[in-house]
Amino acid sequence: MATSRDVGRRSLLKAAGGSLAALGVAGTAAACGGSGSGSGGTVTIRYAWWGAEDRAKRINKSIALFEKKHPKIKVKTDFQPYLDFWKKFNTQASGGNAPDVFQNAIGFLRKYDARNVLLDLTAQAKAGELRTEGFRAGLEKFGEVDGKLLGVPVGSNSMALVIDKKVHDKAGISPELGWTWDDYYKSLRRIRDTQKTAGNGGMHGIMYLYDPYLRQQGKAFFTEKGLGFTESDLVEWWEEGLAGVKSGLFADPKKVNQIKPKSPTADGLAAGEFTWDNFAVRYTAEGDSAYDLAPIPTSDGKKTGQYLGSLMLSGYKRTQHPKEVATFIDFMVHDPEVARIMGYDRGVPATTAQYEAYEPDKDKDPVLKKVNTSIAAYEDSLVEAKVLGPITPHPEGADVVEAAFLRINEEMALGKRSVKDAVKQFFTESKTALGG
Amino acid sequence: MSALAAAVRRRKTGGSLVWHFAALAVLAVVLYPAVWLIGGSFKPSDDVIGSLDLFPGDPITDNYTGLKEGIADVSIATFFGNSLYLAIGSVIGVLISSSLTAYAFARVRFAGRNIFFTLMIGTLLLPYHVLLIPQYVLFQKLGWINTYTPLLIGKYLAIDAFFVFLMVQFIRALPKELDEAARIDGCGHARIYLSIVLPLCRPALITSAIFTFINAWNDFLGPLLYLNEPQQYTVSLGLKMFVDQEGVANYGGMIAMSLVALLPVLAFFLIFQRFLIDGMATSGLKG
Amino acid sequence: MTSPSSLKSAGPAAAPAAAGPPDRRAPRPPGLRARRRRENLAGYLFMSPWLCGFLLLTAGPMAVSLYLAFTDFNLFDSPKWIGLDNFSEMFGDARWRKSVEVTLLYVVLGTPLKLAAALGVALLLAQKRRGQAFYRAAFYAPSLVGASVSVAIVWKAIFSDDGPVDRAQRGLFGVDVGGWIGDPDWVLYSLVVLTVWQFGAPMVIFLAGLKQVPQELYEAAEVDGAGPWRRFWNITLPILSPVMFFNVLLETIHSFQIFASAYIVGGGAGGNACGPADGSLVYTCYLYVQGFENSRMGLASAMAWMLLLAVGLVTAVLFWSQRRWVHYEGGVGSR
Repeated sequence: MATSRDVGRRSLLKAAGGSLAALGVAGTAAACGGSGSGSGGTVTIRYAWWGAEDRAKRINKSIALFEKKHPKIKVKTDFQPYLDFWKKFNTQASGGNAPDVFQNAIGFLRKYDARNVLLDLTAQAKAGELRTEGFRAGLEKFGEVDGKLLGVPVGSNSMALVIDKKVHDKAGISPELGWTWDDYYKSLRRIRDTQKTAGNGGMHGIMYLYDPYLRQQGKAFFTEKGLGFTESDLVEWWEEGLAGVKSGLFADPKKVNQIKPKSPTADGLAAGEFTWDNFAVRYTAEGDSAYDLAPIPTSDGKKTGQYLGSLMLSGYKRTQHPKEVATFIDFMVHDPEVARIMGYDRGVPATTAQYEAYEPDKDKDPVLKKVNTSIAAYEDSLVEAKVLGPITPHPEGADVVEAAFLRINEEMALGKRSVKDAVKQFFTESKTALGG
Repeated sequence: MSALAAAVRRRKTGGSLVWHFAALAVLAVVLYPAVWLIGGSFKPSDDVIGSLDLFPGDPITDNYTGLKEGIADVSIATFFGNSLYLAIGSVIGVLISSSLTAYAFARVRFAGRNIFFTLMIGTLLLPYHVLLIPQYVLFQKLGWINTYTPLLIGKYLAIDAFFVFLMVQFIRALPKELDEAARIDGCGHARIYLSIVLPLCRPALITSAIFTFINAWNDFLGPLLYLNEPQQYTVSLGLKMFVDQEGVANYGGMIAMSLVALLPVLAFFLIFQRFLIDGMATSGLKG
Repeated sequence: MTSPSSLKSAGPAAAPAAAGPPDRRAPRPPGLRARRRRENLAGYLFMSPWLCGFLLLTAGPMAVSLYLAFTDFNLFDSPKWIGLDNFSEMFGDARWRKSVEVTLLYVVLGTPLKLAAALGVALLLAQKRRGQAFYRAAFYAPSLVGASVSVAIVWKAIFSDDGPVDRAQRGLFGVDVGGWIGDPDWVLYSLVVLTVWQFGAPMVIFLAGLKQVPQELYEAAEVDGAGPWRRFWNITLPILSPVMFFNVLLETIHSFQIFASAYIVGGGAGGNACGPADGSLVYTCYLYVQGFENSRMGLASAMAWMLLLAVGLVTAVLFWSQRRWVHYEGGVGSR
């Protein structure tokens, strides 16, 4: 007996079943792309990094080379721009599913060690899977925290003053290693008065500049647990910055915001800015002028307070394949062919073998040839002058403090806070971030 | 009678002029940024930011021709194919699941309806950021990471209350006499849903289809978290490969790609908006 | 309102299915209880996709986030129960209060302007004119792009110093702001303009709603001598009101949750993720910063549930107000 009720129920079930069936199809179709450890003794590891398409092409080439030399290891890559990378990484790691190998930086070692994310590579190094010798300038020590090897440097970089060469030439300024902050401010005034432009894009919010400045005075931005300077230190530093914005030595922060993500120097808003030396290629690519690297000003004519920073490779603590991870890191760090593929993309190569394998003056790309040659010269000059000090891994929460430093400085520069208020706010937020 | 018709016609031509004037004025304001984008896609990359000119002084096509090589060794077609698969899969899921659910809320009197409806509206209110990690852990436990399933399953389970609610509102605006009459004719809910409500809800279905397609196409966070291999990436992830703080940014390429990425969505809209407009005329309400 | 004849043509697809035994034309009225049971069954069956989705995918994560709101959770270590500490920290935080102010301003300005633009243009486009398909697509185009980096670049160009908006502002009002995007006091307004510019979604919904208005009602009213204003007031608005309610509610909720444009257009690289000097520090952007950049997911969850309460209240008021202005044709029940 077919009642209307039954008809209704049946067609309803059919409709519901249809939607479930469609779901099933979608599920199986997608599942085909799944990964994991393959069969036949091959091992698949996941490698994630931040960067854009140019770095991707270089890394893909390096991996093709690696897979040829190590046919039993497959490497799957995944990459995003910097901020998205960390968003994804944090989500994955929180779920216990981080990539086996990933790009890392020295500032994050303690943070992720405290959260049990980083693989201690010491055992692999002892077993000979990962060579810890052959590094330049003491870089092999950079990845060590509390006796654990948590990261292996792939390249080094250092703070530098990128300058607009044309403007500086016209103003008759040629910075030299050992110049002082007085000299620097004199040059800023000269540029403002003769070239009618700001000499710097704004520098008082850059933690990595304030740090060497403090080191010149025998202090540092971070101690192992907290901040290495006092409120009155910061009041002095920010008052100087605010005065510079008002008198036109530094670019108008409003305008700097408007051209982001382009840099004020590349845009012509300022004749220079402090940044990492390996970012230099951006200026030549994005700006119309000629650019050069100048040394960090000093307080005593000698000490720049600088150190080398470093991009690293780290392993994931819960990886199933620590041995393969070590093999891969070793390859990326030591193989000379990789150096020729990567160039200075990850900074100046960390190992001597890779440093010597890539000669910047023979790069086929004319822009890279020019820029990388000047980066090499700059870092060589730092090593020769023996100004480089050791870097201490930042405490947990340092990244939050760095962001607060930048933001609160900007609020002050834009006139939203007095210097005193800004300093107070910064110390309050730092205390929270560094855990009391 | 003919005098009246003439008057109506005269009024219509006058109205038509005003209409076109108004439409053009809105158009100018609305499309200025779009024109800027098109102009920008023909500028060299270092001129894109900070330049005030609407059009390039010396137009180049490199930004478009460069796309032929793909991005980071992945061909553009791969990105588009993946996005299309997700978008179409999403549209089918949302249309089926949301209309069924909406019918229940709008036309069936069942125990607990108000509570469930409130719960459904409640799911709209929580910012999604705090759900990301619990959801990720859930999908990971189910073994669905690195597949499209986490991106599609919610669509087949009406998880987006927006569409359910949209359809509820449309169904409730339909004349009640229609299904009352059908009920007297002996139709059950399935019949009323299939032969009365669905056809009459065509504008709402088309609207939902358009929005779902666009949302899926533009979705960034879902693919970012759940897809781990560039070969599976969608257009929205591909768009992010042009710029990173550490490398040389390719703004020109990015803008060109974002315009190309608009084409499928625009096409989808153009095709379906016709049904949107004709929706009522063919559904028979006019008799 | 509708002639019975229209029913017959309600759906040609229905015709074959309708061919049942002729004696079913007048079914015996089933018992009240049986009828209720049948309604319940039908309701749950129809609702089952959503119910499964809710139970499997939404309810769990929502409950987890509610639990996290009372914990200290840094994404990695197991959450530590701290009671109401997150809430007291939140209320004592000047940045949190600032984010509430910024968000309210954004909601109050952006939502009505966007809806007015959407309704105005929808009414314009509902008329049958030559080229209307083109206009519809053109007006919808801005909504297709969302809040991408490309839009951020365009917005910076348009609202920068000496850009078109700045020049117009100086020329017309003699006010020199020097560009909106970099200015902490103006950046929010550029985001309001952005959301109004993307009026496409509510416009399409209005258009779809307008298509539900039976044309003969207008014709009848015109014959009765009703002018365009009266026709709008007496015919269009009542029939459009459920859709209007939907748009008002959803746009309000979405405005409260605005994130992408503040993060991508207002913000930028570095410490000011939510605009210069927190000028566009909208609530969800601050929530994101706390949760993901500062790794304080417990606090972020507390913020999220606070927002849920606030928006829930607004939603409840809107639902309550419905009975005064929303006209449901087939409405069953009180809502």
